[in-house]
Amino acid sequence: MLNNAFFHFLTLQLFKERSKHIGIIIISVLILFLLSSVLFISSSLRHSLNETLQVQPDFVISKVQGGENRATPLTWSNELLNIYGITHVSPRVYGRYFFKSKAKSFLIVGVDFLDEQAHKNLQKLIENIDIKTFLTQNSMLVGEGVKEYLAHNFYDKSYNFLTPKGEFKTVKIFQTLPTKTNLIGNDMMIMPMDLAREILGYGEDEVTDIGFNVPNPDEWTMINDKVSALHYDVRVVNKKEVQQSYEHLYNYKGGVFLMLFLILLSTFMLILYQRYSMVHSNERRHIGLLRALGWSIHDVLKLKLLETLSIVFISFILGVVTAYIYVFIFSAPLLKELFLGGQNLTSTIKFTPVLDFSVLSSIFFIYALPFISAVLIPVWRVAITDPKEAML
Amino acid sequence: MNEILFSNPVIVYLLSELILFVLLLIAFIISIRVLIHWDFESFSPLQFKLEQQAYLVTTITLFVFSMKFLLLLYFAFTVDSLASLIAGAMCSAGVIDANEYGSPLLALKLLILFGLTLWIWVNFYDLRTKNYQWFKEKSWIFMVMFIFITIELLLDFTYFTHIDTHQPVSCCSALFGQLEGANPLPFGLNISTLLILFYLLFALVILTLLTHQSLLYIVANILFLYIAYFAVVYFFGTYIYELPTHKCPFCMLQKEYHYVGYLLWISLFLGSYIGINSAITALWLKEENQASIKIVMSLLSFFVLLCSTYVAVYYFKNGVLL
Repeated sequence: MLNNAFFHFLTLQLFKERSKHIGIIIISVLILFLLSSVLFISSSLRHSLNETLQVQPDFVISKVQGGENRATPLTWSNELLNIYGITHVSPRVYGRYFFKSKAKSFLIVGVDFLDEQAHKNLQKLIENIDIKTFLTQNSMLVGEGVKEYLAHNFYDKSYNFLTPKGEFKTVKIFQTLPTKTNLIGNDMMIMPMDLAREILGYGEDEVTDIGFNVPNPDEWTMINDKVSALHYDVRVVNKKEVQQSYEHLYNYKGGVFLMLFLILLSTFMLILYQRYSMVHSNERRHIGLLRALGWSIHDVLKLKLLETLSIVFISFILGVVTAYIYVFIFSAPLLKELFLGGQNLTSTIKFTPVLDFSVLSSIFFIYALPFISAVLIPVWRVAITDPKEAML
Repeated sequence: MNEILFSNPVIVYLLSELILFVLLLIAFIISIRVLIHWDFESFSPLQFKLEQQAYLVTTITLFVFSMKFLLLLYFAFTVDSLASLIAGAMCSAGVIDANEYGSPLLALKLLILFGLTLWIWVNFYDLRTKNYQWFKEKSWIFMVMFIFITIELLLDFTYFTHIDTHQPVSCCSALFGQLEGANPLPFGLNISTLLILFYLLFALVILTLLTHQSLLYIVANILFLYIAYFAVVYFFGTYIYELPTHKCPFCMLQKEYHYVGYLLWISLFLGSYIGINSAITALWLKEENQASIKIVMSLLSFFVLLCSTYVAVYYFKNGVLL
């Protein structure tokens, strides 16, 4: 039965009854569009965060007091170097600097530009800058959001930081960071470490925290214990924990959306069930005719199911493609606020296109499976139409 | 609330299983009625109605089966994606072992898939006869499968709701690898005898297939399935990972190994399932199918070839074996 003539007939049938199908296709495409956009955004963000985490140090330690982070003494990094298995110890200085109105804040990151290791991670960011001229005066690299905000407030060339000691510190805006780094780099200011210390109010031998790597993953738990035993007021965080909390965050956002989506989905199923149960007398006669011509129930079922399948696939492809264009080409206006939160500096993120098996199969299962399940019984009811009855 | 239930694939997976179960429940209720009153010789309106309803049951089961097959793959993927959420887990092995429901669930899934392939086979022969000769047999298989699927659904929900994200689990090398000198292989085999047995059994499977020795074939194929599992985990797998200590049936499903695990396990299980089922129907219903023999041979040969290629490629690249 599955031959060329059959498929030809199927296509003709689809075309002839296009007014019946068009409504279903439009609703399906809308639902699929919403669903795929959310899943695309969430998977793209997760991908970018994972990539960012790859270059982060495996462990980070800091001094805590009453559960809050305090300035970490720089001497701790020397103690870390004595533990066998630890490499790449890098003290870091960073913190938030609030703009005078306190409504907006920047992330100040101090970088030791002469340190080979710190340098390597930043290689991509500072590929095009001339370090010598950068270091001769107080200057910084800023993210796009920062640049825009400062320009808006008439700080085109430089910005005057107010240090905790009450002095003004003028820092020149050297260059903007590449747009690709916007997810994390949007509100970032990168400057030499000593300058950052001064602006954030750290002492000469103090840092925010100390990162280090442990190349052998089997040693992670052991190193964790050893480092924790160095001081009583040390907090040790490893990369996997950070990754887990990110994962939880995005799972939570996507999960809440999906659960709300289930309500929509059940309504959709109900509509489909109703829609496919309503059979025109014309259509009944049509089936009756086919049966009278010698088609078995089996053949009619096959025709009807293939008809449904074609609709499912047409709307699946249309929905996913429009969502793809919306998210990855127009970077999802409106919807991205849900995921990024726009309270601070406005961000202009380009999503990295991530289209993997997992997202597509999730979309398929949450759309096509309920769709087909909802129409199976109505379709069967049409297919068993008695030829004699239908012709009356 | 359990964080696992917020994971998108888990929501999608559980929802799909639930919808399929509702469909099956409808089919089950109908097919009980059909089974009680079925009498093909009768010309009563009831019998005509039952025949029409039988179509619904068949359609639903075919649909559910195809979805179940895809869902098993999706399940493997879902479990894999949870690995990053659970302390200590590096691949599905740890997640499956996160509580006592995981391994039975996986085994049950494979069993259900086997039953459903058997159903498809009997259905295929049944539809070819004009008088629904195998209708009762088909329905009984469906009944049994329904009970299994009910258990599976319950296990699905208990499994995912009982995963504790804070309790550390073992990773695969702890589960399959270092057993402190104990031999993990069955029948006291070592690696070389395991491999000899693997290839010998493969030869036996092919021979019995060609000579239509159905009973012997079933025994040979079940043994082959069993031995092939160990051969992949303890020998071929190490070549896929290119690491002699990495012994795990799940890690190969990950992206780092180009998802080759899906290809490997699908060809092995699908080949064996089709083969065993067509042999069972040959013995039971006395129906033979030449096409299935070709499919089985190509799937199993592909599996063996794929495994061996990994070893060969490694040897050509590095000039040594692991």
